[in-house]
Amino acid sequence: MIELTVDERWDLIDKISKQTVKFKKYKSTLKEVIGELTVKPLTGIPIAIAVLYGFWSVFSSFAGFFTDGFLVKLFDEHWLPWMQGTFPGGLHNWFYNLMVDVGHIQNGALVASDSCFESFGVLTSGLFVPFGVVLPAIFIFYLMMAVLEDVGYLPRLAVLVDTVLHKIGLHGYAIVPTILGFGCNVPAVTATRILETRKQRFLMMTLLGIFIPCGAQLGIMQEVIPEYTGLIILYLLFGYFVTGFILNKILPGRTPEILIDVPPYQRPLTRNVMTKVWMRLSSFLKIAVPFVLLGCLIVGVMYLTGSMDWLANLFGPIFTHWFGVPKETVGPLVAAFMRKDLAVAQLSAIEMTKYQMVTSVVLVSIYFPCLATLAMILKEGGKELLGALAVLVASTFIYGGLIHLIWILLGVA
Amino acid sequence: MKVLLMGHPNVGKSVLFNRLTGTNVTVSNYPGTTVDYTKGYMRLENKEVEVIDVPGTFSLEPKDKAEEVAVKMLKENRDAVVVCIIDSTKVERGLYLALQIIEGGYPVVISSNMWDVAKDKNIQIDVERLEQILGVPVVPTIAISGEGIKELVSKIKKAKSVEIETIVKKVGGET
Repeated sequence: MIELTVDERWDLIDKISKQTVKFKKYKSTLKEVIGELTVKPLTGIPIAIAVLYGFWSVFSSFAGFFTDGFLVKLFDEHWLPWMQGTFPGGLHNWFYNLMVDVGHIQNGALVASDSCFESFGVLTSGLFVPFGVVLPAIFIFYLMMAVLEDVGYLPRLAVLVDTVLHKIGLHGYAIVPTILGFGCNVPAVTATRILETRKQRFLMMTLLGIFIPCGAQLGIMQEVIPEYTGLIILYLLFGYFVTGFILNKILPGRTPEILIDVPPYQRPLTRNVMTKVWMRLSSFLKIAVPFVLLGCLIVGVMYLTGSMDWLANLFGPIFTHWFGVPKETVGPLVAAFMRKDLAVAQLSAIEMTKYQMVTSVVLVSIYFPCLATLAMILKEGGKELLGALAVLVASTFIYGGLIHLIWILLGVA
Repeated sequence: MKVLLMGHPNVGKSVLFNRLTGTNVTVSNYPGTTVDYTKGYMRLENKEVEVIDVPGTFSLEPKDKAEEVAVKMLKENRDAVVVCIIDSTKVERGLYLALQIIEGGYPVVISSNMWDVAKDKNIQIDVERLEQILGVPVVPTIAISGEGIKELVSKIKKAKSVEIETIVKKVGGET
């Protein structure tokens, strides 16, 4: 068996193609004209901003429409009261507390919760968060993302942002895992395989795990704190760039130039888009929902056994002095190990100022990736997970402290 | 028998895989959608045949993790028939990988995919002549709409390994 050298091979191909392929004249199609417009910076950047803004507006209005208009009422006015009336036991029964309602102290007395954000039972909040809030949000998110993917827009976006991403040690193609990460961090971590060097992959996984909030988290943020979602995302993106910039200076290794085929635009096939949305939704139902339920249960048990109070008192000083948030935030941080959406839902039930709320949501986002993401980083990156965790601890403390400092300087903390 | 689907990124390997096996692996219009392999089964003359959707690679010298998976799959399946999918608008580039696989001694069938796009660009490919030179079946396909898939399947059993010297001789001239 003889193998050719690279030159010999190209030489042979040259001869073959001369005898078999003819390039005739043709008129450029509308697709190609649009293709050009979306990749040239002068027209491409405004179009990119329009596309992303459009994406965000549809996402927030659609999710809000279903959740506020219908699902919140269903859960708070029908499901919760029905469960509270039907489930055996009461506020002083531990099993009832875990499954239906932990209740809360009002004027010294334990009273029933009146919303699924407060009750925190496995069968109330545990179902409300994934089905009432997150499902409509990620449905529309995945639908739009599938269309963007199938049209062929992402590689063009990659070309446009190439220069910027080089500043943080990545190249344009890193926009693909980043955008996938806004849907779910787990497939995004797998997608880092298309990056060439170890440095790039480490950087990308670390930044994804720390700074990119997933669709489920965005959905619940839109529901409980819509007025701050934009601000929080800005903070996170800022952290993404600053941390990337610093890591790029510290880490050895190189970043090659982007080498990418920009495919022709295509009309998305309805069947393919639908299949993709369904596959992603079903993996949410199979993987995420059990974690939400488990998270509810663990948090509930920790409250009942008093270990949550113990943790709150232990870490209290760090929370109140360094981050400037109430020590009760420890509960949501425990939940965030399981699911970020659950953690944000839990935060919304804690009394605090809007500035503290912004800080604590940012903290919940950056302080630890959810278990599923963590497992994927371990699988894809191996021992590099340790490095990622070190960056994580450092950035959580520095960043959380900085936000607190901003509030102090603004005189609102 | 095993069938490996190989080719450059974003030429339609996963679309073809879904067509052949009736499964649903994720398909998108950007290079690098598939970064790990997927196995599935298709019926070929009343026999179950394993089909493997391999991540896209430009050559057999990997430059990222996804390409490493591709090269590893090829090496681990010495007995496989390789369906080499090439982008009909970029035949030369596709042939580079195809020739490398042929040189490795694998029986090959070439699917000249995205035939519709080539037509739009007024690129004419002489399939018969290409088959003659390469000595392996070449089938024009449009995986996304399903055109040419039946013919491709019927040609899988006609895949054969070819000596590279034969190709060099057939094309005329020395290399």
